[in-house]
Amino acid sequence: MVPTSYYVLLSAILFTIGALGPLIRRNAIVLFMSVELMLNAANLALVAFARQQVNINGQVLVFFVISVAAAEVAVGLALLVAIFRTRRTTDVDEVSTLKG
Amino acid sequence: MLNFIWIIPLLPLVGFLVNVFAIKRERDAGYVASGVVGAAFLFALLAFLQLGTLPAEERMVDVVLWSWISTGDFRVPFGLMFDPLTGVMTLLVTGVGGLIHVYSIGYMHGDVRPVRFFAYLNLFIFMMLILVMADNMLLLFLGWEGVGLCSFLLIGHWFDRNRVPPGLVPSKAAVKAFVVNRVGDAAILLAMVAIFVNFGSLNFFNIELGETILQGFVENAGLIGAATVTIPGDTFLLTTTISFLLLIGVTGKSAQVPLFVWLPDAMAGPTPVSALIHAATMVTAGVYLIARTHPIFSGFTLGLVTWVGALTALIAGTAAIAQWDIKRVLAYSTVSQLGFMVAAAGMGAYAVAIFHLLTHGIFKALLFLGSGSVIHGAHDNQDMRKMGGLRKDMPVTFWTFLIGAAALAGVFPLAGFWSKDEILATAWSNNIIIFFILLTTSLATAFYMGRQVALVFFGEQRDKSYHAHESGSFMTIPLMVLMVGALVGGVMNLPGTHWLGHWLEPVLAEEAVELNIVLAVVTGILAVLAALGGWWYYVANAAKVKVGAQDPLYHYLGAFWEGFQEAWYFDDFYNNTVVRGYRGLSNFLARVFDPEGIDGIVNGVGWVLTRAATGVRSLQTGYVRTYAFIFLVGVILIIGYLVVAL
Repeated sequence: MVPTSYYVLLSAILFTIGALGPLIRRNAIVLFMSVELMLNAANLALVAFARQQVNINGQVLVFFVISVAAAEVAVGLALLVAIFRTRRTTDVDEVSTLKG
Repeated sequence: MLNFIWIIPLLPLVGFLVNVFAIKRERDAGYVASGVVGAAFLFALLAFLQLGTLPAEERMVDVVLWSWISTGDFRVPFGLMFDPLTGVMTLLVTGVGGLIHVYSIGYMHGDVRPVRFFAYLNLFIFMMLILVMADNMLLLFLGWEGVGLCSFLLIGHWFDRNRVPPGLVPSKAAVKAFVVNRVGDAAILLAMVAIFVNFGSLNFFNIELGETILQGFVENAGLIGAATVTIPGDTFLLTTTISFLLLIGVTGKSAQVPLFVWLPDAMAGPTPVSALIHAATMVTAGVYLIARTHPIFSGFTLGLVTWVGALTALIAGTAAIAQWDIKRVLAYSTVSQLGFMVAAAGMGAYAVAIFHLLTHGIFKALLFLGSGSVIHGAHDNQDMRKMGGLRKDMPVTFWTFLIGAAALAGVFPLAGFWSKDEILATAWSNNIIIFFILLTTSLATAFYMGRQVALVFFGEQRDKSYHAHESGSFMTIPLMVLMVGALVGGVMNLPGTHWLGHWLEPVLAEEAVELNIVLAVVTGILAVLAALGGWWYYVANAAKVKVGAQDPLYHYLGAFWEGFQEAWYFDDFYNNTVVRGYRGLSNFLARVFDPEGIDGIVNGVGWVLTRAATGVRSLQTGYVRTYAFIFLVGVILIIGYLVVAL
């Protein structure tokens, strides 16, 4: 049996990679993938802890996260298409008119 | 009829509404307006006669139409009352008012805004009737303000004219009247608050309202006044304050010292307005108010009332001598006669004051209407220096005006003789100084009326550029009716019968003034001599009277004459203090305080915010990356804090 700490460590690594995405990349699609990575890192941690605690709640919560993430992706991709149609780019730095 | 007294004020209100909404033609407006006031007079006469059939102590009807205001303890009914005092006032307002309406049909013929004029006249009659029929202070105040509003509207009837004789601007005169009256009205408002705090009700007399009984403050003035309460709630002190505040209100509405300055300027309005509002009815509201609330006037305030009245009489009486404008003489004369009434009221002779109010209402309306007829016949000329000899061209106006002038001068046996004689007799037995002030004034009165008659009707016409003509019958018939009133008005209260005094006894319980035969004969002879003196002097010196030259009397009186001309410089005093001070303050506020102060604060706040924001705005890069980074740093800091702290 793999110790829970391994899962948590993997989850932390995945989350860090995901969190780095928005900081160093400018392609909007890559940003989406990074967000998905962070969500799934959190999912992994939830499932791992749930299994350790022998508690079904964490696993149920993961299903909610997945479905919300799916909805979020749908909206996000739609936005992305709209931005691409007007701007001909997916570079988020090009879409920076909303600044003070 | 007595339960239907609300018909009396309702009629002019209907006339007003009909005139405003339905009438387009000048003639219709005049007929409707006169008709409703005439009908109101008939109803008032019916109510008056029916009131007379009741026993003396039951002559008081109160009709509560509806509950007007009801919040907690503050309950005000919309109630009308009819008692002997209200009765005579109602008859004066509708009777003289009706005649002036008829006269206006002739006088306002061809005016630019006749329908509006008649509508306002009707509204005025309505408000005046509310004023005299109100059974509580608040409703009285509604009428009080209403007549003030109508006065403002009618003084400014020719608001589009820049200048009317004698050099007045109608719109400014209207505003002046309104603003000066505000001073007095503010005092009335304060008085009402004090009355409510002190007596718990604004009603004059006890009335039943639903299941409760509202205590009338006039009826209970003695009871509560007799109770002693320690300072600051001392009841004696409070009633003195109340009566003092009421006196200030009276000085505003009834044009007394020191607030009389608006009335001479009010002559910028059409002459029927001067006759109706600024001579016969509205300005007497103050005298009516004193008479109505007299139980709360105590010794100190009554003395003040007497002096205010006497000084007003003297100041305005002397001012009237030195005027050239035909209406301005009468305006100052009105102020002076109102001073007589107020002085009489101050000496406790309320019935005498009301007697003079009634006779004065008749003969002063006659004089004003007569002067209007002269102005009309002399082609809108108001300067007496350009008149002279008009008795040949305008015989009816001459004779009626002569009777009115003699009545005002106090010539036996006309109306003014009896009422003025009673005031003088009262003063004789009360205060000898007041008596001599009033006697001097009454001689001045006789003198300036003699002067006016001489200047207008005698000698030769000095300015021959116009041809005077007699006015039409719409104007002369009211003159003749009023002339009869001025001739026989004295029978109301002849010595011996004292009909008016007895009639008013339930309201104004007081001893009838004894006829002082020596005094009456002496003052009567003096008045005739003064009138003849004024007449003779200006007939003899008619050649010296011309535009640009000083009055013949100026030679003898010099600086005094100038003081008389300017009404003892009250207007200059106000111009130099109140008006100039207020203008200075307004200038400072508009030119300095507003742009520098108020705008400075607003602009300063904006400037500070802009400056503070320039530092923060660079954080808003618009790059998602930056936001994500800051977000991440924040999360790490919070988690770090939690880890370290826990």
